[in-house]
Amino acid sequence: MGLRILSVIRQVLDAEESVRIKDGMVDPSSSKLVLDTMDEYGLEEALRIRDAQPETEVVALAVGPARCEEALRTALAIGADRAILVETFEPLDVITVGNVAAQVARKEQSDLIFCGGQEADWDSQAFGAAIAEYLNWPQLTWTTALNLEGRTLTGTHDIDEGTESFSVELPAVITTQQGLCEPRYPTLPNIMKARKKELRRESFESFGLHSRLKFIRSEIQVKERMRRIVDGKDGSAAAQQLVEFLRNETRVIG
Amino acid sequence: MAHLFSLTDEQQEISNVAKKFAATEIAPHALEWDQARHLPLNVIRSTARLGMGGIYVREDLGGSELDRLGGVLIFEGLATGCPVISAYLSVHNMVAWIIDTFGNESQRKAYLPRLCSMESMGAYALTEPGSGSDAGALSTKAVRDGDTYVLSGVKQFISGAGVPGTTYIVMARTADTGSRGISAFLVEDGAAGLSFGAPEKKMGWHAQPTRQLILEDVRIPMQNLIGEEGQGFKIAMGALDGGRLNIAACSLGGASAALEKTLRYVTDRHAFGKRLADFQALQFRLADMATELEIARTFLWRAAASLSERSSDATVLCAMAKRFVTDVGFHVANDALQLHGGYGYLLEYGIEKIVRDLRVHQILEGTNEIMRLIVSRSLIEGLK
Ligand SMILES: Cc1cc2nc3c(=O)[nH]c(=O)nc-3n(C[C@H](O)[C@H](O)[C@H](O)COP(=O)(O)OP(=O)(O)OC[C@H]3O[C@@H](n4cnc5c(N)ncnc54)[C@H](O)[C@@H]3O)c2cc1C
Repeated sequence: MGLRILSVIRQVLDAEESVRIKDGMVDPSSSKLVLDTMDEYGLEEALRIRDAQPETEVVALAVGPARCEEALRTALAIGADRAILVETFEPLDVITVGNVAAQVARKEQSDLIFCGGQEADWDSQAFGAAIAEYLNWPQLTWTTALNLEGRTLTGTHDIDEGTESFSVELPAVITTQQGLCEPRYPTLPNIMKARKKELRRESFESFGLHSRLKFIRSEIQVKERMRRIVDGKDGSAAAQQLVEFLRNETRVIG
Repeated sequence: MAHLFSLTDEQQEISNVAKKFAATEIAPHALEWDQARHLPLNVIRSTARLGMGGIYVREDLGGSELDRLGGVLIFEGLATGCPVISAYLSVHNMVAWIIDTFGNESQRKAYLPRLCSMESMGAYALTEPGSGSDAGALSTKAVRDGDTYVLSGVKQFISGAGVPGTTYIVMARTADTGSRGISAFLVEDGAAGLSFGAPEKKMGWHAQPTRQLILEDVRIPMQNLIGEEGQGFKIAMGALDGGRLNIAACSLGGASAALEKTLRYVTDRHAFGKRLADFQALQFRLADMATELEIARTFLWRAAASLSERSSDATVLCAMAKRFVTDVGFHVANDALQLHGGYGYLLEYGIEKIVRDLRVHQILEGTNEIMRLIVSRSLIEGLK
């Protein structure tokens, strides 16, 4: 019996898209949504483990509206073996989603869970921790290198003054960050096959949870530009002028 | 005709992958490659891992076995990063398609794995100094000698000629019977007697070399004949149907990128106390650009679907698409330059490069006049 890896993914606004608000909520209905690049690193690591140990199974999980299927299809096209979508229209907080992921991991008898160290939209950085807490598993956060030998996973992550190394016996939750690896692109044959792979839908209600945190309203910060251009021909005069702007007009400096 | 008005999830994903690859691996370097006259082979080869080395090739030898609509989505997507890189890949895939479609099993096995992995790149040699539009009048000779053919002549404007390890498909004359006397041959890089002219100095398409292919008594095994003697012109023209779709897709991608840059520019740039985007004349211009591109795209998809289905009007639809889409693409790119004002004329803004690159799409793979010839011939012959 090979390893069972759960790669938790999220669907977020494409980085090029601008955020639209409708009725106080972010409205993605007419925007391009993509698989969060932050989650691609974990998926890539999972696939590398499967490349080395072909009996490994990689399952992609998403929690959210029906539209998340697109992101899961992308994960399947990149190489996940099958996918699970826990469907809900309710905007859930990160702790609740962590609870769902933990329950799925238990049911799936996962050995290893990957998720992004942060999320392109929430940026809560609490997701992996929440899953680990619900499962009472160890977590390695913000990993920058990983290596699996048997059921022992060693890894490193950066700290302010250097790096720390870890080792952990599975099961464990791993959070990733940019630079951990170079995520692969979906291949054309895999894109065509992705449709035939299993994508199981479950309803959020069946988890017996309700989010205790309620979203009330989102609004977009309005940024006004001053459209002032400092003539840079004379360097020191320009610097002088800039300091004056910053002090007197924008009050950025005192 | 399922794909006329919306893409399937798979097609959308294919388009996404090509655009993402273009945005991350191609676009950031496109101007630099243009300036350095550099063909970024390592980047191009890395598309093989995505399955772009044999887009139409059957799966048994490493191909992706997509249809023509899949192909145009890829070439449009890649061209948003750089039309020249996308077009180079298009020719490579045209060569792989010829071998997969007209080659025998041993030719397929000998060449396709290497082409799909892009260990070897493909080039297509039809045009000659004395015969461009009138390709059926070509004069490069192939003379049978025992179990070999001996090729001699000069091929003009060959895209990718001289790239190490390239596999060439060379159209040459085996009989003096006009276009019926032409045959298609596989010629490998390094063959004795094969050499190249100097890279042509061009208006655009700087990121890929265009050179003469010079054949001086190049002796190749008889097994390198594709199909039968006399089939070459049919093979060459068949390949161009798909090539025309792809070059049109390259124009579409380039022009879409130019429009996108323009949208950002006009919402940022101010004149007469307001944003350029607030002038209705410019708004209408933008609306027209977007509308024309969308019409071009929709029609290109239809032509692609017809070629996949091998419908009897496919050649005419491909010619219409090539003519229309490359014309629209060029005009949209040129309008994008205009809307950028003086900055559009500067290299740094990346617009003039697109204009330079798209201009030649109205000329190669059959000029747009020749496309009209194909269309009008079908109209007039249809009367008989
Ligand atoms: C950058 C570049 C890359 C190329 N790559 C390749 C390649 O990889 N392989 C390859 O084989 N070729 C390639 N070509 C060649 C290209 O396909 C030819 O240039 C094209 O087919 C036109 O041929 P020509 O240049 O000889 O022009 P001509 O045939 O001499 O045409 C000159 C003009 O007369 C017009 N004309 C000709 N006949 C008619 C007619 N019957 N009715 C009305 N108008 C007519 C043409 O449309 C054109 O405007 C490339 C060309 C360029 C510039």
